[in-house]
Amino acid sequence: MTEQLKITPAIAIPEHLAGEVQSKLAYVDEAILQARVAADGITLELRETPTDARRSELEDKVQRVVALMVQGAFRPKVQILEDHLDRPVPYTADPNPGLLERGEMFQEANGVYTVGPLVTRLIAFFEREFVRLADSFSAAPYRFPTLIPARYLERVNYFRAFPHSLTFVTHLREDIDAIDDFAQHAACDEHGLTTPPGSFAKFQTLLSPAVCYHLYFSLADKPLPDGQLAATAVGNCFRYESINLASLERMWNFTMREVIFVGAKDFVLQNRETGRERMRGFFEQIGLAYRVESANDPFFIGEFKKQAAFQSAFQLKFEIRAALPFKQGTLAVGSYNYHQDFFGRSLNITLPDGSPVHTGCIAFGLERMAFAFLAQYGLDVTKWPEMVRKGVAGSG
Amino acid sequence: MIEKVQALIAEALQVSIEQIPPELAFGGIKQWDSMGHMGIMLLLEERFGVPIDADIIGALTSVKAICEYLAKHEPVSSEETGS
Repeated sequence: MTEQLKITPAIAIPEHLAGEVQSKLAYVDEAILQARVAADGITLELRETPTDARRSELEDKVQRVVALMVQGAFRPKVQILEDHLDRPVPYTADPNPGLLERGEMFQEANGVYTVGPLVTRLIAFFEREFVRLADSFSAAPYRFPTLIPARYLERVNYFRAFPHSLTFVTHLREDIDAIDDFAQHAACDEHGLTTPPGSFAKFQTLLSPAVCYHLYFSLADKPLPDGQLAATAVGNCFRYESINLASLERMWNFTMREVIFVGAKDFVLQNRETGRERMRGFFEQIGLAYRVESANDPFFIGEFKKQAAFQSAFQLKFEIRAALPFKQGTLAVGSYNYHQDFFGRSLNITLPDGSPVHTGCIAFGLERMAFAFLAQYGLDVTKWPEMVRKGVAGSG
Repeated sequence: MIEKVQALIAEALQVSIEQIPPELAFGGIKQWDSMGHMGIMLLLEERFGVPIDADIIGALTSVKAICEYLAKHEPVSSEETGS
């Protein structure tokens, strides 16, 4: 039986921070099933009726998070580079029931989905277009692993910036007794896998949260050959989002195609802008309703205020937000990113003159791209724009 | 003014004032990175009471720029007003 807890924040939450605060409330306490921030306050849905002491503890935790995120926060500068949200699209219903019914989407675990033939063909179509974009920059193809060393992520401050979204990888300790113990006693219940204590080795790797990091790590501690590089890769990425995980919109395990630029500031910024212009033509061809607007990464509570304001001030991130008519909202399906010389400095990657390289990337979430398209055009292929119809007909 | 600004930046970045020459700009020392920059902005707002928004954060990227901004906005510090 669930229970609602209403909290009036001690500090008023400005409208532009409501979504950010709401998403972070997922990490406040394991008892929280759902969190909502509205003008009349914060509503938490809890797994069970809390005692008075627990109620007080939860309220304290929520007030702490609100204070950390809101107190002294700068209002971000919202910059809209393109606005095609009024582009007419034929579909307004929720595509999720149809995807489930047709076996086009199957949930294996929270945030973990298998997709069926039609969605797979649609993703392959978008992938070909994104690779075409990469080819237009003569981007070198790479294949990166799914695991990423913990020491790499530590070097780029990832543990401080995004601790809430990490996904850890381990294995059983090389100890015959521990392995035997595990084999005999490991068992699953509805909460997960229960294991004997001391079964696991120390974490050396995690599941990778992004594609471009692997490229930067491969370039670390040396001068960049030729002084500039365009590269591309697709990979599985993992970002744990707790109760915010939802359908193909927000997956724990998703696929990202990136086109990555490393070099001097002008090289990176010019290519980021050229990439955006090229994608505008493609999105027009497929009739996507979307907007490109400034954004920030989902930094954790303590880092959020400063990092988000910095990203906004220096226009480091722009998201491609596709319309979701059934929600009367939008979904980020990709982004144009500039990291300044952060990775160059952190990883000691240098230009011929000895200064740190600048980096940037254009990233597309493949499942999200397909989902947003389906939300605008539905599952009936005959009603899709000709380019997409032809694109899925010949693949798979 | 410049000494005050140098002292404020040194305090925000937790370095000695000798590491903040008048020509220093964002990225000039490793402590003046994105987090360091935001620390400077927060301290500027607190000590000088000047309005800081996204445009200002993106513009005040050197000792010189901060001095010019403060001069233009005729800041009055809390110490000077005795409050």
